[in-house]
Amino acid sequence: MKPILKFEQVSKNYPNGVHALKGVSFEVQEGEFISIIGPSGSGKSTLLRAINRLIPISGGTVWLDGQPVSAQRGRKLRELRCKAGMIFQNYNLVYSLSVLQNVLHGRLGYMRGVKGVFGMYSEEDKQEALDLLEELGLSQFAYNRASDLSGGQKQRVGIARAIMQKPRLLLCDEPIASLDPSSAKTIMDLLHSMTQKRNIACIVNLHQLDVAVRYSTRIIGLSKGEIVFDGAPEDLDDSAIERIYGTSRENLMMGGNADDKEDTAHCA
Amino acid sequence: MNMNSDENIVMLNPQRKLIRDAQKTKGRIPVKCRQRNRFIPCFLAGVVVLSVLSLFYLEIDWGKMVSRVPDIGEVFWQLAHLDFANMDLILSSLVETISIAVLSLLYSLLLGIIFGMLAARNIFRIPLLSVLTQSFFTFLRAVPTPVWVLLMLVCLGMGPEAGVAGLCVHTTAFFTKSFAQSFESIPDETIEALEVTGAGRLSIFFNAVLPAALSQIVAWAGMRLETNFSECAILGMVGAGGIGYVISNSLQGYDYGTAGTAILLVFLVAYCIERLFVRIKKRF
Amino acid sequence: MTKKIPLIAHDLKKLYTGFLIAAVVLFAVTSILTEFNIFTLISNGDAFWSFLTEDFLPPALPKASRIPGVLSSVVVTLALAMSATTVAAILAFFVSLFGSEKVSPFPQFAKVVRGFATFLRNIPALVWAFILFSSLGIGTGVGFVALCITSFAFMVRAFVETMEDVSQDCVESLQAVGATFPQRVAQAILPSCLSGFLSWFLYCVEVNIRASTIVGMVGGGGVGLTLFSYIKSFQYDVALSIILLVAVMVIVVDQITARLRKEILK
Repeated sequence: MKPILKFEQVSKNYPNGVHALKGVSFEVQEGEFISIIGPSGSGKSTLLRAINRLIPISGGTVWLDGQPVSAQRGRKLRELRCKAGMIFQNYNLVYSLSVLQNVLHGRLGYMRGVKGVFGMYSEEDKQEALDLLEELGLSQFAYNRASDLSGGQKQRVGIARAIMQKPRLLLCDEPIASLDPSSAKTIMDLLHSMTQKRNIACIVNLHQLDVAVRYSTRIIGLSKGEIVFDGAPEDLDDSAIERIYGTSRENLMMGGNADDKEDTAHCA
Repeated sequence: MNMNSDENIVMLNPQRKLIRDAQKTKGRIPVKCRQRNRFIPCFLAGVVVLSVLSLFYLEIDWGKMVSRVPDIGEVFWQLAHLDFANMDLILSSLVETISIAVLSLLYSLLLGIIFGMLAARNIFRIPLLSVLTQSFFTFLRAVPTPVWVLLMLVCLGMGPEAGVAGLCVHTTAFFTKSFAQSFESIPDETIEALEVTGAGRLSIFFNAVLPAALSQIVAWAGMRLETNFSECAILGMVGAGGIGYVISNSLQGYDYGTAGTAILLVFLVAYCIERLFVRIKKRF
Repeated sequence: MTKKIPLIAHDLKKLYTGFLIAAVVLFAVTSILTEFNIFTLISNGDAFWSFLTEDFLPPALPKASRIPGVLSSVVVTLALAMSATTVAAILAFFVSLFGSEKVSPFPQFAKVVRGFATFLRNIPALVWAFILFSSLGIGTGVGFVALCITSFAFMVRAFVETMEDVSQDCVESLQAVGATFPQRVAQAILPSCLSGFLSWFLYCVEVNIRASTIVGMVGGGGVGLTLFSYIKSFQYDVALSIILLVAVMVIVVDQITARLRKEILK
């Protein structure tokens, strides 16, 4: 099977001398649900943003759906970006616009010129956005300002916007870091079910080890810009954790019992 | 863009059925918020209309202006030929300007704290006093600084006194208003708590209100220093001394080199004050 | 109440003490440099007061034939401030889009744009007026351009800061969606920053009402010129009534902008 995403010796040096990524290589297949874990500053965010070139990389190649991302400019780049939806820690909505308008932003990549600028979306797109909001349980908020929503609801709008892009790949940058535990579970469940249903590969940056183990089909551990672990959640043993976080398991705040294999199997 | 008010009324009910109904009748799904700020479009339209009317009223001779645009380039070219021959005059007037700015700022700080105390409603709790002080300083603030300096020039004669006094009027008025605001933002409970201990009005002010407002006072002062310097730099142009006088005098005498040097120095000082203020602001 | 409990932290106290010392030193130095002595000023106060009461008070109206001229000069000042601010705001909006690394499509030029604005801003409006007078000649048009330059530069800075505060995040998300630059501007920056921009615009109108009076004094026309001519011809009592007129104008405009701002930020 052709990989949807391929990193080839990708590196990133910031102008201030920080080497955020050092020769990172991996492949992502269709339908995978990958968690990227690692301490703050290990390059998780940079890795995710290298995929849709929100951050230009300094070396190596990122292949998205068979095309090199770093070589693209202008329209070609925007077309590639359509294929990767993105969800942010701070939701990154336009809070003064309606929820529906925010969801429809997902279509902007497919629209040209004046139509996109003035937000003249097609009726099919609008209908689809409304259906999507219903699926996410937000239909009664479609015409509210995005600022009126709670954190969990805002993140659901973020998911809807990303899904509206009809992406092949979903990038989630710490989607639950600003949420309370109950909303966090809703969001992770939604992410999981929506991507499985639509056969979208999903890459999630996470701080919560237990969540990573519970939901993902594969875990990538980053430390100081290098991949130090890449495997199934079952294989994430204490020595792997120590390699990633530089400290033993006892020193980490663990939300749940990661050894609960039954639970993991059930969810996966 | 693609909805009008009728659709919007239909949309007040967010239920899907109604949305579908709207679709049937209009064939369009609205996308915008239910409660938007309808005032902003009206405001924008008003501003545009007023500005266009203003431009017509001013009857600016654009043709003549445009035809002289090449002269601007010429003037800038000559200004760029910096002339350091009159450097002692420029420097001494620059120092004078800075001194006037700083001195008026310091005097106004003191006066501002005193009058701010009178103007704040929560210190002495004499409403009439606050209202009187505030309206008096509102008047002083409404008149631009150079006007005060001109008046002081008339009253006090040429010299830095007129500059300091004139700048003080406006700066004190500004400080009074902003300090009073800062004092009033102190929660009433704090003051009440001290009142219960039997502390006098003045001691409450100096022990509780002033220290709490100190960081804001420093911020206001830094902000005002920028304004005061640029005000001070232009005072010379209306007849007071300082760097402004050097600039306007040498421009009128076609001594562009000297003017260019003076303008550059004004820019550098203003820029330094701005950077300094940004630094100070970061510390708080 | 025996032991004094410090109300502020120790290092903060040190900072304030530093400021106090700096203030005292500056006070001494500048007092010597300018030879400004508050006591001589107060001791000469009698002359000051007699001057004030004899020459200025009571305010007198200008000759009846000149009243329409005075009123129309007020309108000129208002029109000058209004149109200059609007033109400057429109230009500033487009330029500020390129002034922030986070938003601009050409981040490498953002510093240049901001530096240019800093340069324009830190030279007072009146200096610009004088530079322009010597190339374009005296007139309302020059006052207009001078006001435009400074308020343009001020608004570029204010708009860039507003944008970085408010819309940095949503610009990023629209970038990820594959939106073009004009789409990002119209769909993310404008809706989220418009009220902030307008609030700064109103502030600039307030500032420009005062500034246009001053630019008028040196040849830009309007009520400033009228006032200046009365002062120059020693008609101080008439000048005082015009000062009162200016004060009323400024206060009324301030009241209106305060109301409008409240509506906009609702």
